[in-house]
Parts: sequence; structure tokens; C-alpha cells
Amino acid sequence: MTAEPLMRMRLRVEQDIFVVRQLGREVARTVGLESQDQTRMATALSEVGRVLLSLGRPAEVTFTVEAIGVPTLHVAMTHPARGEESRLAGQLQQVGRLVDTMEVDNGESGTVVRMARRLPAGAPRLTPERMDEIHAELARHVPGTPLDELAVQNQQLISALDEVRAQRDDLARLNAELEETNRGVMALYNQLSQELEETNRGVVALYAELDEKSAQLAAASEAKSRFLANVSHELRAPVTAIIGLGRLLTDSGSDELTTEQRRQVDLIRGSATDLLTLVNGLLDLAKAEAGRIEPTWSEVDLKAVFGQLRGTLRPLATRPEVDFTVEEPGLPTLRSDEVLLAQVLRNLLTNALKFTEAGSVRLSVRRIDDDAEFVVADTGYGIPPELQERIFEEFYQVPGSKPVSGKGTGLGLPYARRLAGILGGALRVDSTPGEGSTFTLRLPLAS
Amino acid sequence: MERVPVLKIGDILLVSIQIDMEDQVALQLQEDLAERIVATGVHGVIIDISALDIVDSFVGRTLATIASVSRVLDAETVVVGMRPAVAITLVELGLSLPGIRTALNVELGIAMLGSREDDGEPEDDEPDPVVVTES
Repeated sequence: MTAEPLMRMRLRVEQDIFVVRQLGREVARTVGLESQDQTRMATALSEVGRVLLSLGRPAEVTFTVEAIGVPTLHVAMTHPARGEESRLAGQLQQVGRLVDTMEVDNGESGTVVRMARRLPAGAPRLTPERMDEIHAELARHVPGTPLDELAVQNQQLISALDEVRAQRDDLARLNAELEETNRGVMALYNQLSQELEETNRGVVALYAELDEKSAQLAAASEAKSRFLANVSHELRAPVTAIIGLGRLLTDSGSDELTTEQRRQVDLIRGSATDLLTLVNGLLDLAKAEAGRIEPTWSEVDLKAVFGQLRGTLRPLATRPEVDFTVEEPGLPTLRSDEVLLAQVLRNLLTNALKFTEAGSVRLSVRRIDDDAEFVVADTGYGIPPELQERIFEEFYQVPGSKPVSGKGTGLGLPYARRLAGILGGALRVDSTPGEGSTFTLRLPLAS
Repeated sequence: MERVPVLKIGDILLVSIQIDMEDQVALQLQEDLAERIVATGVHGVIIDISALDIVDSFVGRTLATIASVSRVLDAETVVVGMRPAVAITLVELGLSLPGIRTALNVELGIAMLGSREDDGEPEDDEPDPVVVTES
């Protein structure tokens, strides 16, 4: 009786009696009971099943086969009701005649009806292999009643339907949201497109205007350069003539002039010389602007350049209150155009000397990374910040500023900046009004 | 739910039970048969149980009830084709099928009913050959 149960099932409703008797017959056939005994076993199951079911509450049916000793099919039907064994025994007396043994007793889990039927001698031996076969064969029978199956399937179907419905609702909601978002996006998109288009039109118009303006500017600049070049050239000849004639008048070989006349001729010569300087400056600037100045690259000996500047500018620094210093160069050579470089520095120094009443004017150079940095520092009037860029415009002079000596043309700084550009560098100014200005020229070491 | 077909052949209703009946099917058959007897006015019913291999007390009782009801409705019932195993089991179970006449097969059953019509009152003359009494 300790063997593994062949089959188990629960007896709950009337239909289960039908199922259990069919199952009983199948079990009996499978283990090898004869046809007559199959019918007996099935009928006995049916009868006991009815009696147990009439007590109410489900009963448990277990089929077991005993392979040791005399092979026997055992059926145990357990009902949870207790204390019914004597009454049941009486009711089932007749049924007992269908099987070999039948007992009703009180088991652990309630009243148990045990029935046993020996297998006939001719039945297949219950070897382990045969047992496996029996198990496999019985497993094909659907356990549980068809009604249970149906109920379970129904339940599954209903839950599946619910789930599907819920998903559909979710989807519908999601769709609605998406649609709304879409509409919003479309509206935004349209609005943006419209705005973009408008902006585009504006930009295109602006571009056209800019093109036009730049063309006009280029033409104007060209015209100015041409005008300056031509006019300066035409002006230089007469001025040179005036200077030459003035020199002739005062020459020792010509007729003696009165003192008054000599003084007037000297004034004429001085004015003409000033005019010539101005015309030359204009001419240089026009040439630089027209791009006609080509630097001649060579190794520039800075010591020599500085020496020359010191020599030529010393006479200009006539005031004892101003300390004019050209420092020893911080680097020996530089690849540049010597003439143009000297021109730039001379312009800067001349400028500084002109506007410095007292203090110092210094020129120095040092190496910074791959550049040479020339610094011309003075302690002059200084330039207000808002005018620091304007001083590089032609003929611009800081209002109210008065040169200490000589007079400015307003062309020196623009020309210096032009040349710095031509030499591949840059010129800038730092200044504090009342304290002085520092002009910094940065040039690359190699061209 | 399955139903057992009831066929009318001349003056006889033929019921052939081909399946192991659930209790509900058996009760339904009882109703169907009574209705058909009334509707057709036949005088004989043959129930073929040759395909049935389990007849427990409920089915036995149902067959007996069918026979009694039929008799009240003026129709004689013959159960034919009972398997030996079923017969033995019934006897061992101590079930009698009171008022049920039996025959070995349908042919004999029809003959039995025919003779009853000829004889007029056959049930008194012919003792039931397979009637089982409470032992």
C-alpha cells in the first residue's frame, strides 16, 4: 500500500461519479484486470461514490497497485466525515461482494473506504517498466472533470478578455493623448515655420542691403585712395618748386634781400616744408592703403635700428624735462622689413615726444612666444578710452590736445598701423588720461 | 448535454444506449421516452444496452422506473443485449430490476413484444426470465 498512487481524483459533484467510474474501469483495464472485474470495479466505485457524495463534501479517490506478493489493485476513497464507518459499512455491504476485500475505517483524514481486487494470474507482470507504461497510459486521461476544465478555461478566458479590454482602453487613451500632442506639435511647427520664413526674408533683405553697402564702401575707399594718390602727387611738385625757389632767393649767389624780405622768404620755406611733409605723409598712406607697399623681407639687426632711431630722434627731444630713452633691444634680430619697421617706430616715438610735456618716452623690445613686442611708452596727456580707436583714423586728433612741439598732421598713427598690418603684426594702444600712453607693436619673429 | 436518441419503428420505440450515461442523461432519457410514448401511442419500448458496460444502482433504478412509467402509459418495456459482466455485477450487487423484461437481442425483443400483442396479456403468462430479486 505504500506504492506510488496510480491516479488520484476528487469527487465533488454527481458528474464526478461518472468520471470516476470511467477512470476506474480504465485503471482496472490498464493494470490487467479481466473484463468482468473491470465492470465490477467500475460499478463498485460508482456505488461507493454515490454513498460518499450523499454525505456532502468532496471525497478523495486514490488508485494504487501493489506489485509485491500477489499483485493487487487498491482503491481508497477518503471522506472527511468522521464516525460514519459503521453506517457506511452497512450501506456498502452489497458492494463488498464486487471486490475481494473491502473495509471501512477511520483514517487520519476521515472515513476511508478501502477496496482491493487481486490481479489475475495471466495479467502482465508489474515490472518497473510496466509500471511506467501504466503511468504513461493513464496520464493520457484528462484529470479532473470536464466541468472543472471548462470552469478553469472560462476563468482564463474572462481574465484574458479583461486584460485585452484594459489594454484596448489604455491604447485608446494613449492614442488620444498622442493625437493631441501631435496637433500641438503641428501648430507649433507651423508657427515656427512661419516665423522662420519671416526671419529668413528679413535676413535675405539684410544681406542684400549689406552687399550693396559693402560695394559702395569699397568703391568709396577706392575712390579716396585714388584721389589721395593723384592729388598728393600733383601737390608735391609745386611744393618742391616753392621750396627750391625759396632756397634760390636766399642763396648767397643771388641778389641781396632786405632783412624783412629774408625773414618772409624763410617763413615761406618753412611753410612749404611743412606742406611737403603733409603731402608726403598722405602719399605714403595712400600707397599703403592701395596695397602698393611690398615689404622687403630680411634679417633686421635691431641694435642698428635702435641706434639709428636714438640718433635721429635725439634732436627732437629738446626739452630737458623729458627723458628720452631707447633701451638696448631684448632680442638681437628679427625677420622683417627694416625700412618699414623703422618708419613705424619713428612715427610712434615722434608722436610720443610731441605730446609729452614732462617725464619720459621709452622704446623697448622683448620676445613674447613667437612674437617680438615693441613698446613705446610715454607719460603724456593720455587718450580717453572711447577715443583710443579713433586716433588710428586719418586726420583725427584728440580734441583739446596740444602738441608740445611741432604740430601733428593726423596721419602718423594711421600710417603706422597700416605698416604694422603689412608687416604681419598689429598695433594697439593702452592709455590712461593724464598718466600716459603705451603703444604696443607686435610682430612675428619669422615672416 | 448528450441525449440518447429514441427511434420509432412501427409500434415500437427503440432506444439504443451507446454510451456510459451520466445521471443527467439517464433522467433525460426517462423524460424523453415518456413524452414520445404519449406522442406516438406505441405499445412497446425496447432499450438496447449492449454497449453499456457499467450498470450501477442508479442506472438500474432508472431502467426500472422507465419500465414502470411505460407500463402506466400502456407500453411494455424490454431491455435487450445486457452484457454477461453487467448481469453478473447486478446480481452480485443484489439489484433486482423489478418489472423489467429482458431479451438477448433486439430481434428477440421485438418478437417478445409482438407475441404480447397477439396474446393480449402477456406479462401475466410469461414470467420474467432475468428478473433479479433481492437476495
